[in-house]
Parts: sequence; structure tokens; C-alpha cells
Amino acid sequence: MVNLNKVLPRNGRDYYLALGLEGSANKLGVGIIKHPLLPKHADSDLSHHCELEILANIRDTYVTPPGEGFLPRDTARHHRNWAVRLVRKALQEAGIDHPSELDTICFTKGPGMGAPLHSVVVMARTLSLLWDVPLVGVNHCVGHIEMGREITKAENPVVLYVSGGNTQVIAYSENRYRIFGETLDIAIGNCLDRFARTLKIPNEPSPGYNIEQLALKCTNKDYLVELPYTVKGMDLSMSGILGYVDSLSKDLFNHNTKNKLLFDPKTGEQLVTVSDLCYSLQENLFAMLVEITERAMAHVNSNQVLIVGGVGCNVRLQEMMASMCRDRSNGQVHATDERFCIDNGVMIAQAGLLQYRMGNAVQDLADTVVTQKFRTDEVYVAWRE
Amino acid sequence: MSQEIISQVSSYLTSNVPVIPISQGAEAVVFTTTIHPYAPSNNNTDESIKYILKYRPPKKYRHPSIDKALTKHRTLSESRILAKLSQISGLHVPKLIACDVYNGCIWIEFLGEELPNGSGFSSLKNYLWMCVLDPYSKMVEDTLVKVGYQIGLLHWNDYCHGDLTTSNVVLQNSGTHWEPYLIDFGLGSASTLVEDKGVDLYVLERAVNSTHSRYAEKYSQWLMQGYKEVYEKQSKKGQNKLRDVLKRFEEVRLRGRKRSMLG
Repeated sequence: MVNLNKVLPRNGRDYYLALGLEGSANKLGVGIIKHPLLPKHADSDLSHHCELEILANIRDTYVTPPGEGFLPRDTARHHRNWAVRLVRKALQEAGIDHPSELDTICFTKGPGMGAPLHSVVVMARTLSLLWDVPLVGVNHCVGHIEMGREITKAENPVVLYVSGGNTQVIAYSENRYRIFGETLDIAIGNCLDRFARTLKIPNEPSPGYNIEQLALKCTNKDYLVELPYTVKGMDLSMSGILGYVDSLSKDLFNHNTKNKLLFDPKTGEQLVTVSDLCYSLQENLFAMLVEITERAMAHVNSNQVLIVGGVGCNVRLQEMMASMCRDRSNGQVHATDERFCIDNGVMIAQAGLLQYRMGNAVQDLADTVVTQKFRTDEVYVAWRE
Repeated sequence: MSQEIISQVSSYLTSNVPVIPISQGAEAVVFTTTIHPYAPSNNNTDESIKYILKYRPPKKYRHPSIDKALTKHRTLSESRILAKLSQISGLHVPKLIACDVYNGCIWIEFLGEELPNGSGFSSLKNYLWMCVLDPYSKMVEDTLVKVGYQIGLLHWNDYCHGDLTTSNVVLQNSGTHWEPYLIDFGLGSASTLVEDKGVDLYVLERAVNSTHSRYAEKYSQWLMQGYKEVYEKQSKKGQNKLRDVLKRFEEVRLRGRKRSMLG
């Protein structure tokens, strides 16, 4: 049994308050959450039932022009520019007049882009010293998982974590979130983002969302442009698919009629549109994801799936996952919407507060160094059995 | 297991072939049946003679064209590989009886049994969980070394499994010891590449790490001991090949993303 009430709330209150700061990629998120102090948490395995109350969940995204990605240096500058404003706004929204009431300040320790992570941790350290509030460093992936578990109340799901920087299939076992399968090269979000860049479609609200919308416009859904299907055991590889589909789209734009897949060899008529490419790419990539998820489910005998991460908002992916689960006994899919799927401060606060309640706050500022490489299975999950 | 899949199978097989579902894997559903597809008499009432029917149902989640291509490709390659592997002496795989690649259906020999004390079917996974009270016993060691030997033999003959996990090894009790059989060659391939062998070993290592975390180190060591035995029995050529595979294995291990550079 786990005792989540090891550390009591400050000032004899009957609830915890935590501030979460997230900035591992192009989103800067600030979240403030509240956990009630409940006797049932003293002796149970209820870390997914904290009765979380979200007091503020604010995010600002650094959006680049079409055809461009976000560079670390510019993203870090964006975060520095907005950090103070967002924290102020969040405190105001949460109605916290004295920030020193906070129990803990949580920040993303990694994985992510170095420069943006660094901007955010500087903010976190400053606030911690200013208000005399202890810090907690959080693994970004664990943040996603804990957020998903709390929102959907999924007890012990297989987690598919799909975002711009990560693609992992995770299952919990013996105090670690263990990685069953992952990408061997680029992440799925990265693959979609880069394809969006080749197509020069807007990055607003997000490149993946725009690809999803284009794919919906595909008229001939029975026909699929054949793409490589690269599942390697539990792992998958996506850089080859991206390279191939990129070259197809370049041929399409340059009107290279020699490409028989895209143009009729006799009449030179165009057979495939950009929407068709988007549709085929999505179908192909998501089929691979669902397959490895199903493989992991079969291996650990689980019937729940939780989809987290930015790509998890994709309705088509959720549909496919639901369809897979319908064919398994008692299969259930849990997914969240864009407020919680896409990087946010609340998820960092949630995972951080769990860590804090188990007594794992940072003791020395020297331990707040952020890292670009920080695997999900390195974190000791003290708050679960 | 969904009723729909079962009714699909029943309508495909007709009522002459009664089937009992036993497990649902990631991509296939496994049934047992007492009917042999080619044997003259269908009046087999001996319950002990069983066959495995492995059926790959169409996956509704994926596009029909991807689904068709994958089902056919995997069923066909699995059947081919099983047929080839059963000719290798010393290698234990189930015998192939029949296959229908377009409907994703294959008939194979039944292997395994129920483990004592309700520990479930005799897959290596269940076996290791059963032995958890004495995880480092001589019996476990022998079994794992034997499993490693089978994998080594597979690789030595230039075949790869593609999905080596502890649930894909079935144990048969032969009185004094447990004889391992490799099953599920759905992702298998014939390959002379060290890369594929390295990936195979890596997949296995990770599967052991994630399902038997506490004892994984020792288990992997025993598996590798059996694996090496095969190569070391060969001449100089075997030693060289082994070195290449192990080197690639190390490289594959380092390839995962965002791996910490410490260990």
C-alpha cells in the first residue's frame, strides 16, 4: 500500500496546491492544481483518483510561419518573454493572492529541447527562491501518463504516448513505466510536422491538425497510396516513410509526369492529390501505432489503452484505437482532449505533486539541472504499487 | 474475445469443423480443433488429438488494402518459414498442416500443456512466473539455456523470429525436463543480415526486462549462454559470426532514443 499523505499540506490546510511549469517544446504551459487531503490516500493505490481540481490551465504556443519548424533558440526566447505574464495570469485565475501558499513548484526536467527547458527551469528556480516553495523536477512523459490516468480514471492501462518528440508504448510494472515499443528514429509528430512543412501548410493551430483536416478531404478513400509499413517487432521506424512520402509530394508539386504512381503515364493526368497523400500517410502511420499497441496489450494481458501526447488528439487515431479495442474482450480506449493531450502545465503539476506527496522534493538547487535525454523508465514511480 | 470473430471463423470453416477459442494474441486468434483438414475420417472422437488453428481476422481499424496485404504476407511467410524450419534437425517448431493465405488461416500441430497448480498454459512466460518462488533454480537455468539454444539454432540457419517474447516460447514436458518450442513466426523471415539477428536479440532482451524485471539479468545471461553454445560448436566461422551478431546487438541496444549515456 502506498501512503500519498507522507508530506502534509502547508499551514495545516486540508488541500495541496501545486504550480506546474512546462516548456520542453514550443508550448509554454502554466497550470495550478489542487488535491484535497483525504484519509483514503494514506493507505491505498489510488494515485489515479486524487480528486484533482484544476484552478488554472494556461498555454501559449510559439507558432512559426508555414514551411518552418521551431528553432530551440527562438522557442527559448518565446518562453522567456511569456513566462512571467503566464504565471501572473494563472495565479490570478486561480485566485491565489499569496503564492507562498503553494506547496510545490513543478517543472519539466526533461526530455525535450535544451534551450526551452532551460528558460523554464530558470523561471522555476526564481519563483522557488522568491516565494520559498520547494521544487520538484518532473519527467515530461510521466507527466502525460499521470494526467491521462487522473482525467480518464484508467487504472492500469497500456499507454500510447505519441507527440512531436516521442512515440512510445508504455506499460507499468514494478514501480516503473516500462517502454515496450518505441520509434527507432523520428517521432510520429515529427514525421507529420515535417511533412506539413514540405506541403507548406500552416502551423496554426498545429501542423498535425491541418494534415488531419486535409486527410478528411480525400475523396477516394478506397484507394491508398502504398507506403512502407515498417514495424520491427514492438518498435517502429518512420524516417523512411517520411522520406518516401516527401519525395512523392515533391514530384507532385514539380509535376513530374514520369512518376507513374502520381500521373497517368499516357495522358499525364494527375491521379493523386495532396489530400490523398495526407490520408494515406495517416492511415499507414496509425495502423502501425495501433498494431504495436495491440501487441503490447496482448503481451501484458491488459484491455485498456490510454492515448496521451499531442498526436493523441487526432480523431482518426482515436477511432482506429477504439475499433481495435472493440475486437478485444472488454477493450476500452481512454483519450483526452486538446486541453490535456497537448503539453500543458497541469500535467507537470499533477505528476510533480504526486512525487512531492511521496516526499521527493528537490533538496538542493544543484539537482534541478534539466536534461534533453531522460527516459520514461528512469523514473522510480513511488506513488504506485 | 469478441463473438464476431468467432462467428467469422465458424462461417468460414462451416459446421463440420468445430473450434474452441483458446487465446487472442495481438494479430491472430488461436483455436483448437479435433479435425484434421486432410485426414480421411472426420469421426475423430479422441479428445487428446488436437490441432491448432491460427486465424488472422481482418483488422477493421486499418485500411482494407493495408489489411489484405499484411494478412496475406504474414500468413504466407509464417507458413513458409514453418515448413522450412521443420526440416532443420534439432530445431523445435510446430509442424505445419495446412494454410489458406487469403483467409489468413493456418493449421498447425498442438503443443504445450497446462502447468501444475493452475499456473496456466505452459508458455515460457507462465513457466517463469510459476517458478518465481525459486527463480534461480537449476531447472529454470536448464530451460532458459535450452531456449537460448533454440534461438541460436534459428539464427545459425539464417532465420529470424521477429517477435521473440517469453509468451512466444512454449514448453513441452518430456518427463525429466522442459523442451522449448518456438512459436508464432508471423513476423519471421529468412535473413542473412546481422542486423535482423541483433534486433531479434534486442526484442527478446526487452521482453524479458519488462515481463520478468526482477530476475531479467540472470535470465538474459542464461538465454545468451544457450545462444552462444550453438555458434561455439561450429568452427572458426561460427565464432566470427557470433562476434558480428553480438557486436550488432550492442549497437542496436544503444540505438533506442533518448537513452541515457551513463549506462
